[in-house]
Amino acid sequence: MSAIYLYPGWVRLWHWFSALLFLVLLLSGASMHYAGTPWLLSFKLAVPIHNAAGILLTLGWIGFVVGNLFTDNGRHYRVRWRGLMGRLVAQIRYYGYGIFRGAPHPFKVSAEMKFNVLQQLSYLGAMYLLMPLLILSGWAFLFAVYLPESLFGLGSIWIVAMTHLAVAYGLVLFWMVHIYVITTGETVLTNLRAMLTGWDRESGTGASAGPSESAS
Amino acid sequence: MSAKSPGPRRRRRLAAVTSLIMAVLLCTLGAAAASADPPADNRACLRCHGMATLAYRDGITGNLIDLSIDPGRLAGSVHGKVACVKCHAQGYRDYPHPQDARREQLDCVGCHREAHERISYPFEAIAGQFAKSIHATGDDPKLRGFGCHSCHDPHAFRVSTVGKPLGEIVMDDNAVCLSCHAQVTDPLSDRHRWLPKREAHWAAVRCIECHTPIAVGGDGAQRVSHQILAGKESNSTCVNCHSGSQRLLSRLYAYRSQEDLARDGLFGKAVFNEAYVVGLSRSPLIDRLSLAFIGVTALGLMAHGLGRYLAYRRSRGKQP
Repeated sequence: MSAIYLYPGWVRLWHWFSALLFLVLLLSGASMHYAGTPWLLSFKLAVPIHNAAGILLTLGWIGFVVGNLFTDNGRHYRVRWRGLMGRLVAQIRYYGYGIFRGAPHPFKVSAEMKFNVLQQLSYLGAMYLLMPLLILSGWAFLFAVYLPESLFGLGSIWIVAMTHLAVAYGLVLFWMVHIYVITTGETVLTNLRAMLTGWDRESGTGASAGPSESAS
Repeated sequence: MSAKSPGPRRRRRLAAVTSLIMAVLLCTLGAAAASADPPADNRACLRCHGMATLAYRDGITGNLIDLSIDPGRLAGSVHGKVACVKCHAQGYRDYPHPQDARREQLDCVGCHREAHERISYPFEAIAGQFAKSIHATGDDPKLRGFGCHSCHDPHAFRVSTVGKPLGEIVMDDNAVCLSCHAQVTDPLSDRHRWLPKREAHWAAVRCIECHTPIAVGGDGAQRVSHQILAGKESNSTCVNCHSGSQRLLSRLYAYRSQEDLARDGLFGKAVFNEAYVVGLSRSPLIDRLSLAFIGVTALGLMAHGLGRYLAYRRSRGKQP
């Protein structure tokens, strides 16, 4: 049995706060986009909920970036370029083949690095590319009146709207894969428990669905 | 005696304070009255031109030339505070007006070229767009002498202010076009026969939404071009407005956003954003592609999970 304290309090608080906001934004955003669908929120209700949640998500994201700049958590997002391709291939082979054969996990969680290379790249893409794009396009949507009428020959509002829409769909895809990947720990609930308690506990037997990975 | 002395002093003080208040009030009222009046020079002009019947018959064409100006409309217009001779030739200061004053060239862009004007409204860009307009390039004899004043009466023109009901803006803007093109609204006219729900369009959409180019200019201050298109070049493709480039929804959103900001301020706008228009973010292509991606991903993840479960059961079965 090994236990590593991987998720400090502020990371867990930020994570669950963002998770809640993500669900609220997904539901309210879908209610605005597909307005009139019976089982969604009413358009009038969805708009202020979506905007308020978007403002809180912005504050949360700023907190996340600042936290990573000033605490040790930031080191998990620094890419180790040496041997990147080899680790990437090994990780893809494991998810695509080895995981079904009981092969050992090519990556071992440690206090220095909690993400395998695929997780690290996808979290980097989500947190430092998609999230800023989502937040910027959301604010640009709200204050589109200050944008020029057109950009690159296309209407600015249309560009902002399409960016927000495409990035939102991209983050829904990320969220689906994220939810699934957290079940690939030593047991289905190992990673979820780690994100609740902060401690990554493994028996070391590699019993069920493949060796451990961390949640976020 | 000494007991009575403060009385007159108090009265004098009261009188002094009252006089001061009255003086301030009179000055304020005087200033307000002065600001409501036209500039002093204009009063002289309006003594004649304020008469509704002032006109003369052109000796060559025989047309009746209306010289009257409605003082009320002029006072309420964007030029209400401008002296007549600021735009018109200085010669008009004298009466009878000298013949050479008639050769004046009235030029909007000439007056509005000053830097602060250009920032608030792009008159030079407008002049460029107008030069390409059917009103400038058409060969119809009626277009001879067509200029800014043909559509925008400088003695009555008012800019649309944020908060004005959209229906009124549409009606006022269309009234400018219909002052010459009234025949298009004739129920028997063929001009807009192709347009579904003609009357509904006319009540809700400005003529210029379809009769100007779809591609907007690079000028951020201007929402609609002054390049008026000929009928056959105008937009008659429904999806250009209703789903394609969402041009109309974007314009509507921009206007409603200005209303929101003026009414609610920055924070209120950020939370409530009442300007948002249903369908503004719709893109059938992105929707279909993304939903297909999400569906395939969901199936892939389910298949992966099922594979892991079967592998787990197999490994459990092998254990002694």
